[in-house]
Amino acid sequence: MLFWVIAAILTLGASLAVLLPLTGGGKGTSTSNDHDLEVYRDQLAELDRDAARGLIQPAEAEEARAEIARRILRLGDVGQANTGQADAPGMRQPSRAARLVATGAVLLVPLLSWGLYSQLGSPDLPSQPLAERLAKNPADSSVDELVARAEAHLAANPSDGRGWDVLAPIYLRLQRFSDAVTAYRNAIRLDGDTAARQAGLGEAIANAAGGIVSADAQSAFEQALKLDPANPKASFYLAMALAQEGRLAESTAAWQKMLDLLPQDSPWRGAVQQALAEAANRSVASGEPAKGPDAAAVDAASSMAPQDRQAMIDTMVAGLDEKLRQNPRDTEGWMRLIRSYVVLGKADQARDALHRGIAVFGADSDEAKKFTAFAASLGLTATE
Amino acid sequence: MVETGHFALVLAFALSLVQTLVPLYGARTGNQRLMAVGGPVTVTGFALTALSFAALGGAYATSDFSVASVWENSHSLQPLIYKITGTWGNHEGSMLLWVLILTFFGALVAVFGSNLPATLRANVLAVQGAIGATFFLFILATSNPFIRLNPAPIEGRDLNPVLQDLGLAIHPPLLYLGYVGFSICFSFSVAALIEGRIDASWARWVRPWTLVAWMFLTGGIAMGSYWAYYELGWGGFWFWDPVENASFMPWLAGTALLHSAIVMEKRSALKIWTLLLAILTFSLSLLGTFLVRSGVLTSVHAFATDPTRGIFILCILTLFIGGSLALFALRASQLTAGGLFHPISREGALVLNNLFLTTATATVLVGTLYPLAVEALSAGKISVGAPFFNLTFGPLMVPLLVVVPFGPLLAWKRGDLYAVAQRLMAAFAAALLAMLVTGLFVNGASVFAALGVGLAFWLVCGALTDLAVKSGFGNVSPAIMLRRFAGLPRSVFGTTLAHLGLGLTTLGIVGTLCFGTEKILSMHAGESVELSGHTLRFEGLYPAQGPNYSEQRGRFSLIGADGGVSAEITSAKRFFPVRQTTTTESGIETIGFSQLYLSLGDEGTDGSVVVRLWWKPLVTLIWGGGLVMMAGAAMSLLDRRLRVGAPSRRRKRATAMPSAGVP
Repeated sequence: MLFWVIAAILTLGASLAVLLPLTGGGKGTSTSNDHDLEVYRDQLAELDRDAARGLIQPAEAEEARAEIARRILRLGDVGQANTGQADAPGMRQPSRAARLVATGAVLLVPLLSWGLYSQLGSPDLPSQPLAERLAKNPADSSVDELVARAEAHLAANPSDGRGWDVLAPIYLRLQRFSDAVTAYRNAIRLDGDTAARQAGLGEAIANAAGGIVSADAQSAFEQALKLDPANPKASFYLAMALAQEGRLAESTAAWQKMLDLLPQDSPWRGAVQQALAEAANRSVASGEPAKGPDAAAVDAASSMAPQDRQAMIDTMVAGLDEKLRQNPRDTEGWMRLIRSYVVLGKADQARDALHRGIAVFGADSDEAKKFTAFAASLGLTATE
Repeated sequence: MVETGHFALVLAFALSLVQTLVPLYGARTGNQRLMAVGGPVTVTGFALTALSFAALGGAYATSDFSVASVWENSHSLQPLIYKITGTWGNHEGSMLLWVLILTFFGALVAVFGSNLPATLRANVLAVQGAIGATFFLFILATSNPFIRLNPAPIEGRDLNPVLQDLGLAIHPPLLYLGYVGFSICFSFSVAALIEGRIDASWARWVRPWTLVAWMFLTGGIAMGSYWAYYELGWGGFWFWDPVENASFMPWLAGTALLHSAIVMEKRSALKIWTLLLAILTFSLSLLGTFLVRSGVLTSVHAFATDPTRGIFILCILTLFIGGSLALFALRASQLTAGGLFHPISREGALVLNNLFLTTATATVLVGTLYPLAVEALSAGKISVGAPFFNLTFGPLMVPLLVVVPFGPLLAWKRGDLYAVAQRLMAAFAAALLAMLVTGLFVNGASVFAALGVGLAFWLVCGALTDLAVKSGFGNVSPAIMLRRFAGLPRSVFGTTLAHLGLGLTTLGIVGTLCFGTEKILSMHAGESVELSGHTLRFEGLYPAQGPNYSEQRGRFSLIGADGGVSAEITSAKRFFPVRQTTTTESGIETIGFSQLYLSLGDEGTDGSVVVRLWWKPLVTLIWGGGLVMMAGAAMSLLDRRLRVGAPSRRRKRATAMPSAGVP
């Protein structure tokens, strides 16, 4: 509301700047010749000063004086010749055309500004200074704001192990993997080892490396299993490591064992079953049945193909993403991008694409509604 | 507040249209009321633009990431000063700064122009408004800084680390004050062409604006050069980079304009030169904006490239350059010729100066645009670098610098070259002496270096000779001389200072290029190195943490003659995690006018680090000379001549005039 009041005042001020001079009386003005004469007089005075200072020889000064005098005389001639016409227009009553121009100008200011602003502006969006956003009631804050607040708290109290422990899994969910690694390491350093922390650390390291379960990640998972032999996350990822090394038979066996041990309501069952299905697919795709450890090297080579395929898909999606950054007004493109990310299982990136698409067309636009509905049909919501 | 700024920007655009159309129509029909609209509208337009800029600045200062431009170019951890300077450290914000300065200059004309002939004032404001309107449209259509994000991200993407420096606070505003200041000269020229006549007061009005613009442009270029020198870590002060050339071309043309305007003011001669130069100077400013902002060139200045912006600026360029030159072709023949002069005279010297400077501008223009043309026409990419400019620009500048001291000493209209040469004997002797001393006593001095030093001394002593001659040195008693010296017009001091500054800059360039030394070596902590008589000890690398970066600081001690540490020099490599960028902070120790410059390279595996060291004799004079030139321009601005016709006095005289002056 305040904004509209300010906008109205500004418009009024701007319109008055146009209107007032138009209604004021025409000031008496001097003609151009008067201005010229003033300059010539000053030139003469300057000449006298220079001559007095000895900067100019008397003969030259005389010559220059004569030249300026000639210009003044010429001015007089032109002035007399022009007197008739020069002053006439100023005295004339304003013509109809002039009145039309004046009216048009006064109307142009409010019409153009409000018209253009209604197209360009976001009047309903308040300013959001960062300090204010961080200070407001946590219940109204978004996840990002809560994280930023926690970060500010931890920057001031870096030895608060509990803070790191709370923040670490949130980082993981926000796909800020390297931050998650730091947070888990701090939590472990300050509050000691637990299976959950070590498993989380392993997961963060693996995800930071693009999903590859590296030696670092493996040692973290192994540490987690040492603390809690039944930790499903550690078991799952260690089996994944085996699969990535091409030891499909071993990984399948490990997952199978997990499936037998996991309780019926464990959320890990789905993931394990999916992993088993994928492993089976890979065995079929590579054209060879699962083999014993002696054939591991062969398997590793043939398993390159699906990885390459995955890389190609990733590149294509990244290309589409880049194209939309440069040429964002592409409704079909945004929907394709959102679907691609959902299919690839990258929910956060899908959500990011949805936000960006909505931002391009404006939150109230038809496109935005279309995007939201489309995303919902894929099982994706705008917020978590 | 953000949306208020956005609305103010739209409103300022509407007002700029009124500012263009109404006074122009009023001037054509002689309607006083319509012409009077120009002033208040211009001032209001400036106020609204300032409000808009303040709103954007506020959004940057408070890290309001709901503004897309802030999100892309700021970070909450940046120190406040860089948050604020980040306002114009990006394409959208810098364009807003551009129009802010444009409207500011327009408002100055509106406020202080009450003693201008009414039609001239109306036309000037109209042209100024037209420039403003196109740039407002450009901003709103292609580079709107007020685009919002909803929901707002929680953290920004950080300002380009190279720009996180105090230089960003000074260089762009100064440079824009220069670029855009020339728009006033352009508007005056186009207004004169629209009217088809040039008043005697015209030159008096154009000269101060030229001076102001030239002063800021000089400062902006000097500051940019120094910034590049210490920030990029290569130790170079000028790279003949197209972006640098883009600012240098208006400076060369503007320098010619400044000199033409003097002739026109004093002698009503060189009218065509002055008009054309005013148009060219601002056209080159626009061209610079196009080159830098369109993405034709990739450099630190091209914040974001977007083809639509390039095409839009190209249209603006065509409209203003083509339009003004067409008008010039139509109207130039109507302008009356001014005073006559002999080839050997002050006017003649200034024409020579203009010829040299415009040719030099053309050379730089060719060197800048030719690679672009080649790239556009064929697939090939060529690079026109320092060798081209050294071979073309250098030989053009040297003769000009040789004749500079003659100019101010020549009389108007008809000069005596022989007498002037006699007066310059002392300066010539000093230059010769400097040449001999350099050649004979300085180790490693080439003939070229000796000649360069001689030229610099010739410029400096020649400038001082002018002052000495004008105060009557040798002809009158010291007391009278002192009185005369004090009574000299300020513009004489301005000339002397500007030419003196030119000499100092020349000396700095010659000193750095001819006597500088450099070393690149790998150092371990505790090792020492000697360069041109200075011993440096590397104390080691220390990690440090900045607000939004981490750095490796290399500490060096300068060992004095007595073996003690006389100074500490620190150079650092900074890593900015948000943009994953590393910048080099060079370490500089100023000794007299010279500098010891060092920058860190890569770290070796054995704990050693690559160190690049330069000894740069007299290097500070390059920019010091620029400051002296600025001081000269400021001095000239204080001259009483430029205050002719203060409104109160003018009105009284003007009304008294017709009865007394016209028989």
